[in-house]
Amino acid sequence: MKAALKKIAVTAVAASALMSASGAFAEGERYVLVSHAPDSDSWWNTIKNGLALAGEQMDVTVEYRNPPTGDLADMARIIEQAAASAPHGIITTLADPDVLSGPIRAAVDSGIDVIIINSGTPDQARELGALMYVGQPEYDAGFAAGQRAAGDGVASFLCVNHYISSPSSTERCQGFADGLGVELGNQMIDSGQDPSEIQNRVMAYLNANPDTDAVLTLGPTSADPTILALDQMGLAGDIYFGTFDLGGDIVQAIRDGVIAWGIDQQPFLQAYLPVIVLTNYHRFGVLPGNNINSGPGFVTADALDLVAELAGEYR
Amino acid sequence: MSSFDHNPIVEMRNIEKHFGPVIALNGVSFDIRPGECHCLLGDNGAGKSTFIKTMAGVHKPTRGEILFEGRQMSFDSPRDAMEAGIATVYQDLAMIPLMSVTRNFWMGREPVKRFGPFKFMDFKTANDVTMEEMRKMGINLRSPDQAVGTLSGGERQTVAIARAVHFGAKVLILDEPTSALGVRQTANVLSTIDKVRKSGIGIVFITHNVRHALAVGDRFTVLNRGKTLGTAQRGQITPEELQDLMAGGQEMVALEGSLGGTV
Amino acid sequence: MSSTRATVDERIKETSKLRKALIRPELGAIVGTVAVFAFFIAFAGDSGMFNAQGVLNWSTVSAQFVIIAVGACMLMIAGEFDLSVGSMIGFAGMSIAIISVTLGWPVWLAILLTFALCIAVGALNGFIVVRTGLPSFIVSLAFLFILRGFTIFFPQLIERRTIIGGISERAEGDWLAPVFGGKVGGPIFDWMASQGLIAVFERGTRAGEPIVNGIPMLIIWALGLMILAHVVLTRTQFGNWIFAAGGDAQAARYVGVPVNRVKILMFMFTAFCACVFATCQVMEFGSAGADRGLLKEFEAIIAVVIGGALLTGGYGSVIGAALGALIFGVVQQGLFFAGVESSLFRVFLGVILLFAVILNTYIRRIITGER
Repeated sequence: MKAALKKIAVTAVAASALMSASGAFAEGERYVLVSHAPDSDSWWNTIKNGLALAGEQMDVTVEYRNPPTGDLADMARIIEQAAASAPHGIITTLADPDVLSGPIRAAVDSGIDVIIINSGTPDQARELGALMYVGQPEYDAGFAAGQRAAGDGVASFLCVNHYISSPSSTERCQGFADGLGVELGNQMIDSGQDPSEIQNRVMAYLNANPDTDAVLTLGPTSADPTILALDQMGLAGDIYFGTFDLGGDIVQAIRDGVIAWGIDQQPFLQAYLPVIVLTNYHRFGVLPGNNINSGPGFVTADALDLVAELAGEYR
Repeated sequence: MSSFDHNPIVEMRNIEKHFGPVIALNGVSFDIRPGECHCLLGDNGAGKSTFIKTMAGVHKPTRGEILFEGRQMSFDSPRDAMEAGIATVYQDLAMIPLMSVTRNFWMGREPVKRFGPFKFMDFKTANDVTMEEMRKMGINLRSPDQAVGTLSGGERQTVAIARAVHFGAKVLILDEPTSALGVRQTANVLSTIDKVRKSGIGIVFITHNVRHALAVGDRFTVLNRGKTLGTAQRGQITPEELQDLMAGGQEMVALEGSLGGTV
Repeated sequence: MSSTRATVDERIKETSKLRKALIRPELGAIVGTVAVFAFFIAFAGDSGMFNAQGVLNWSTVSAQFVIIAVGACMLMIAGEFDLSVGSMIGFAGMSIAIISVTLGWPVWLAILLTFALCIAVGALNGFIVVRTGLPSFIVSLAFLFILRGFTIFFPQLIERRTIIGGISERAEGDWLAPVFGGKVGGPIFDWMASQGLIAVFERGTRAGEPIVNGIPMLIIWALGLMILAHVVLTRTQFGNWIFAAGGDAQAARYVGVPVNRVKILMFMFTAFCACVFATCQVMEFGSAGADRGLLKEFEAIIAVVIGGALLTGGYGSVIGAALGALIFGVVQQGLFFAGVESSLFRVFLGVILLFAVILNTYIRRIITGER
């Protein structure tokens, strides 16, 4: 009881301190992270962990919210709702500017600080009045990967798109094609989210197009079944294989030489850094002067150990 | 009996109905006059159902003719028969239990009242008429909104009968209305039949219960293996004779005489 | 046995007026609504859930559910299902986007053509169901895939994208677009803001304007459709046919109810509702995406079932379905305000669904005398 009273008193003091913007130490900040990922997407676990860790370290309340089916219109409602609950800051992805810019701008205008992470671009973030952008520009990352593959002698590829309805997924494939200097055309397939369907579609495509040089997957959801497909077809280690993002199986495949490289956008930073930035901004009024690129970093077979140990958790 | 002064409303002559190789009806003759209750008896599989469905327009006869008020008729659908004035109350398809008594009563023929360009169902009239018609049949409803499912089996039959009577049936075919009922419920339905008959409507009462038939019947026709075994007037036949006749077999021969030689 | 029986059957118990007033198909949903609001007022009363923004948020989400639940309710009472509602939402949105943005035709024309297209698909759906006698569950499941497939295929084929934006710019000055994407009652909210009753923007180009500046047309559509459907169902001849078609199609046919026509019309109405949902969404957000409306068909059916309708048809209430949608929307959005982990939403939903169905079954037994 005494402790609770003390906490209330501290909170009240903190709140008044915050209002007077004196920049003194405060606690009780609340930040909401809104993602566009459906419940089934395991990659976002790293984001959740990074968020929770930052919340713990900074002693602030953090909440993670996402549309259960990945429907972006539902996500817009979640942002509106987050704004209505008046948090100190909102950290959100910008998967579709048309849908999300309205709610985000309304949140910004009603006095909530917003940081855009993961999807979107620095330009779009600035336009909406967000504090900054933390993430990996998708097209640029795809382009860089394409150039790298071109240097390794790749001329044709298969892009396994497991999230076809998100424009950023398509941008990765498009960037890769442009980096290679070839037309995307029919080289991108809509694989769906089901592992065995993905596996079979990859096998079907590679059987129908045996002269394909390379495979590009967009994350663990499409990479894990693709590894199995290549194993089954005897192409593992033979065909050039690159992927976006990391996960337990991907790391193992890099070690085994099945995957040449993984593009790590370091999602941990996308959740962790905004909380640190926002908290320091609210407590001390300090803000980095630029956007933060959390990626791309290419993870190859060299120096895999740390990644392997933390894959799926913080990497 | 006064009803025999009238000409038949419906007369069925030598009706045959074949379903592929199966001969369901093999020459059945039957007629029904205003204000009489003509019982159609027979054991299961005797062809009763096929016969009344032929009368109600569900089946078309393979051979034979149907006369309606003296003119030859051919019904293409149950709707045609209904328009002509032949109403059928099926044992299980009579009512929709989830709907209220009023909604069931008026189903398909709802009274409508205009309200500017809009047409609404006239619930006041519908409820009043339903209550009144049911009262005439001796059933006081708790409320016309009551779901039919809350009524007893006998009451449901009565609603269906009242509905047919209200919409101007000349002939009312009742398909085993008493078969699933208890003693008291049965008595209620039989008394309803009696009331309807007195209003001048011809009733075809299908049953395999001799006692029920004798309680209200004016004439009795027995069907066996797709054929009429004969028609008897009220008072010309005892319950025992009728029972044996329905059962078929040995006793039938001995009883031929009392049926007026119409086998 | 005397020929008259002018007394009430002694086995039907006298029921009190109160009990009679209480026992209605919507009772389960009413109880649920009260319980849900009580819960959130207790646990999230001061979290912003009940300020203007919060109320608008959950009522908008609920209104979306109401629009599709009304259609699903009418169809379910007529004895059929439509599992293609969610896909229809994606399909309709994409159709508007392609016609107005890619083809460059006027937005009003895009909307009207899309409505015609959706209603035609609904009619086809219904026609196949009544003609083949197949369960509508299967037929509409086929349409779920067919429509979703087209919704991904066409924009990819034409625009190489799965989200088409830019509809807001195209819709500017259009006469029909505000009917779906507009807001009403702006001056009232301005006044409320000037009186300090509701919050205003603190900064940006809209500083000083109320954050909530009108009631979205989505909510007006939801109320309108709900009232229309309720009146048709309970007050018209056609409404009686809907009950009859779902209660017992054969018995209804025997008394001359055009059962097939009723069912096809209900499929068309469901498609219409899905199209209203899609059009409002597209006009509000300015873009159409291939993943819009995923799983919405089940959410609609859940709302209808919470509202007391019978899955096998012939029984239900539009008001109940609307309350079911309200419960759904309030729970979905409210759990966040109450600070509950979002993945528990499904658990809550399952529990509410189960309770609602048990309560509704009990109520229905009382009303209809089922044994």
